[in-house]
Amino acid sequence: MLTPEQMSKVLIAAPRDLMDPVITELYHQRLFHVEDFVENDQEEYAGYRIGVPLEGAGETSKELIRLRSVTGAFSLRADDLDPKAKIRKSQLAAQIEQELPRIEDEVEALLSRRMALENHVKETEQKIEALTPFSEMRTDLSLLHGYKTLTVFAGTIGKRIDLGVPSEEYYSESKKGNFLVAVVPVEYRQDVERKLLDAQFQPVPVPDEPGPAKERISVYNVQFESDRKDLDEIATQIDALKSRHSEFLVACDELLSIDAEKAEVPLRFATTDHAFIVEGWVPTEALGGLIDGVTTASGGRAYVTMLPVEEGKDLPPMEYHNVSVAKPSQFLIDLYSRPKYTELDPTLIVSIVFPIFFGIILGDVGYGAILLAMSLGLRKIIKGEEGRMLLDVLRNASISSIIFGFLYSEFLGFPIPGLHPVLPTRHLNIGGEAGGHGPAVPELMLMSIWIGIAYITLGRILGMINHARQDHGSHRTKAILANLGWILVLWGILFMIWSYFAMPLMLDFTGYPPVVAGVSFTTVAGAVMVVLGILFIARDSALEVVELPTILSHVLSFARLVGVGLSSVAIAMVVNFIAIGLIIEPQLENLTIFGVLIIIVGVFVFLLGHLFNAILGLLGGGLQSLRLNYVEFFTKFYKGGGKKYTPFGMIRRFTED
Amino acid sequence: MVGEELVGLTPEMIEASQAGMKALGAGLAVGLTGIATGIAEMAIGSAAVGATAENKDVFGLVLLLTVIPETIVIFGLVVSLLLLF
Repeated sequence: MLTPEQMSKVLIAAPRDLMDPVITELYHQRLFHVEDFVENDQEEYAGYRIGVPLEGAGETSKELIRLRSVTGAFSLRADDLDPKAKIRKSQLAAQIEQELPRIEDEVEALLSRRMALENHVKETEQKIEALTPFSEMRTDLSLLHGYKTLTVFAGTIGKRIDLGVPSEEYYSESKKGNFLVAVVPVEYRQDVERKLLDAQFQPVPVPDEPGPAKERISVYNVQFESDRKDLDEIATQIDALKSRHSEFLVACDELLSIDAEKAEVPLRFATTDHAFIVEGWVPTEALGGLIDGVTTASGGRAYVTMLPVEEGKDLPPMEYHNVSVAKPSQFLIDLYSRPKYTELDPTLIVSIVFPIFFGIILGDVGYGAILLAMSLGLRKIIKGEEGRMLLDVLRNASISSIIFGFLYSEFLGFPIPGLHPVLPTRHLNIGGEAGGHGPAVPELMLMSIWIGIAYITLGRILGMINHARQDHGSHRTKAILANLGWILVLWGILFMIWSYFAMPLMLDFTGYPPVVAGVSFTTVAGAVMVVLGILFIARDSALEVVELPTILSHVLSFARLVGVGLSSVAIAMVVNFIAIGLIIEPQLENLTIFGVLIIIVGVFVFLLGHLFNAILGLLGGGLQSLRLNYVEFFTKFYKGGGKKYTPFGMIRRFTED
Repeated sequence: MVGEELVGLTPEMIEASQAGMKALGAGLAVGLTGIATGIAEMAIGSAAVGATAENKDVFGLVLLLTVIPETIVIFGLVVSLLLLF
């Protein structure tokens, strides 16, 4: 439940000629987490070297790279496909030899044509751009080149000026800028240049084209259009190829990846000229199967044994071991950090508490139903394991939201008729229609604070257990007592508050008679708890005492359950008031054709507002509940940083032997 | 002075202005602390995103660091809720 899958350390030693069958068996079983062999001075590994890849590894990798360039061009991902039927390995191997090179050549030809066309399009665009300023000029552009006695100026200019020399000029004005082409005898060149510079003249190159600019532009436009058409054609061809071959390509990728992985795994083995040794981890309950499998595959010539685990030196990989309901929440834990093997795994707790927090924040039957529909609908679009886990988390959260919606009696911000809320009400007075006494904020706040106190105390208790499991010697005692100290300070402060103030939903200690110097027994007890707690904390680490105010801030942080929730209710009620109270209802009183239009607008406002609020509620509810777990809960006991259990092997989705 | 200014105010008006002041105070409590949190999280957040881009494993840690200043706005929220209700 709160502990990870039990792991055993396994050593396999075998003659080198058995490497292939042993690797195949390990790959097939998909249980063995390989520990990389590192060449060092260890006595027991003297004379061992890192292994070399199996024969054919280079070929496979090359083939895989070619294949990946094709799947890359198709932007094809295995996760996006649902396997229809598995292809047999032998059949696929034959196809890989015949069909794959053909498809690869076809795609490569298309890609290189596409690239050439794209370059051509770019060139044409540049030419059109260079020609555009000359488009209104009827002169043949070839006449503006190649003079010995004349200089040609062309470019944009601020305003028309008198050049003061004998010249032939073309001038046009437009919004983009005034354009000037001037041809002057070469001896006036410097003179004209200076004058033009003063008039903010920006020269542009004269395109080297035959005929007038307008004609040339239309020629290039025709080219441009035909290139575009060709590009579209290629895109359709690529799409057609993709839809025809995607399943085959993904299957090839899977098969080749398997071959490549198998061929390269000896790089993680310790080898001599005649033998190899590999160490790794296996879930303890699967240990027997692994040993039997390897022994059979090697004809009894491989030596497989369980090694004792040296605490502190060996770091087993961590695999979750949860009931199926809690499994989706593993995604949330991995997002933070995978637990260490020796640590408590909080997945189960988070899988229960996260939806509850989400429900407390977004407790609304309507929004819950919208999000539930969303989580079920997105299943068709979002594929892949992590996406599914996220959708499952969302599904659980939205079911909780519906349940809390009934407890709060809320449906899209309206009270559910005839249903009296079980929890303190969150209905606000919006639009001046005073219904009831408004939200029961003090009760809600105290409720959230109780949740905070309980959750933080639980975190500290888990912290004590974690230290008891992981630490040794005097540090262990100190660390456990420090966690107890935090609990004592928290509850001591509460005792003292309860002794002086009577609050709803809280314990009331105000009635006890004073015993010493005018203070009651409970106050004294509280003070003793606080002092003792601080002592415990300081004994473990004096610096931690600085952190004492976090007791207050972390408990109060749970007020966000109420704050964010109330804001969501407020937005829902404002949407209702604007859409129904201000737009629809006044029109219904005396209905006109124009009024019907306004009512449609009102319905639109209603739908859009609630959709917006549902998305906001999803973000707010999800992130805030996640944060309460990560920040307020995990900091009390959880370190993370465990090594992920990645067994050697692959789940085959598209191929079979 | 104060007494003179209050002349002409009915008890209802005084009550209403008190309620208004409370609402203003509550709004300021949330608004100003929100701005403060935003400013404080600005630098941490951008550094956190950068760090996560380099190494995805630090996500949990940088999230913790990013949300530390949120305490400020939570206190503001608590104060404003206490003021209003």
